[in-house]
Amino acid sequence: MSDTAQLASDAGSRDPAVGLRAVRALRLLVDRLEALQVENAREQGWSWQEIAVFLEVSRQAVHKKYAGGRGLLRREK
Amino acid sequence: MFERFHQDARQAVVLAQENARRLHHDHVGTEHILLGLLDQPQTVSARVLGRHGVDHLRAYQAVVDALPPRPGETLDADALEAIGIDLAAIREKVEAAFGPGALDRPAHRNRRGRVFGGRHVRFTPRAKKTLELSLREAIHLKHRCIADGHVLLGVLREGEGLGARVLADAGIDFTALRQEIVAELS
Repeated sequence: MSDTAQLASDAGSRDPAVGLRAVRALRLLVDRLEALQVENAREQGWSWQEIAVFLEVSRQAVHKKYAGGRGLLRREK
Repeated sequence: MFERFHQDARQAVVLAQENARRLHHDHVGTEHILLGLLDQPQTVSARVLGRHGVDHLRAYQAVVDALPPRPGETLDADALEAIGIDLAAIREKVEAAFGPGALDRPAHRNRRGRVFGGRHVRFTPRAKKTLELSLREAIHLKHRCIADGHVLLGVLREGEGLGARVLADAGIDFTALRQEIVAELS
């Protein structure tokens, strides 16, 4: 971390504006990384179940979030 | 279809994608096709447009004004640095794996709801239509292959995308422009 950021961190660690903004930025970053990684896993032939195990969520959750479609009418492994 | 595209026309499509990436857009639209054409200043399309006062810089600015980056879609490097996360380092690793701009474009859903990560820059229906129309323009003019000028004719013929709007806003008369391009192509 740069000196400037260290200063900002020290000075603002209890400042909700700094903290909440960081949380929001982190969430956006995580969402993007997850989309890239899930898609990459699917391309490499991973099943939704295998992806779900690594993300520690249910297969239904990861399928619902990323597979789209009409669920009942489409079957994906 | 692309096998009939001449080198300059192919390059315009490549540069359209490149311009979309540069703008952090998750799509390639008619506006990016226009920017791709203007990015090769020596071509027929860029020269004709130049005579009408439109160059890459001006069109690029018009596209930025029409589609400004949405604040909610920009990764906040300062906010992350405040909690000790180096966004540049993460970006470098992600781009090494997934290509330039992969982290800076939001994920998007296709029509069936499937999510695609930021490494994809998809062509909009209007952009696809524009490329089809450029083929039709070439056939209509009895030209054997599709040059960059035919692609510009496609942008004009499609007529409703942001690419055409940028040209209309610059005060260009489409009929006159068409005639000039056709004259240059033959």
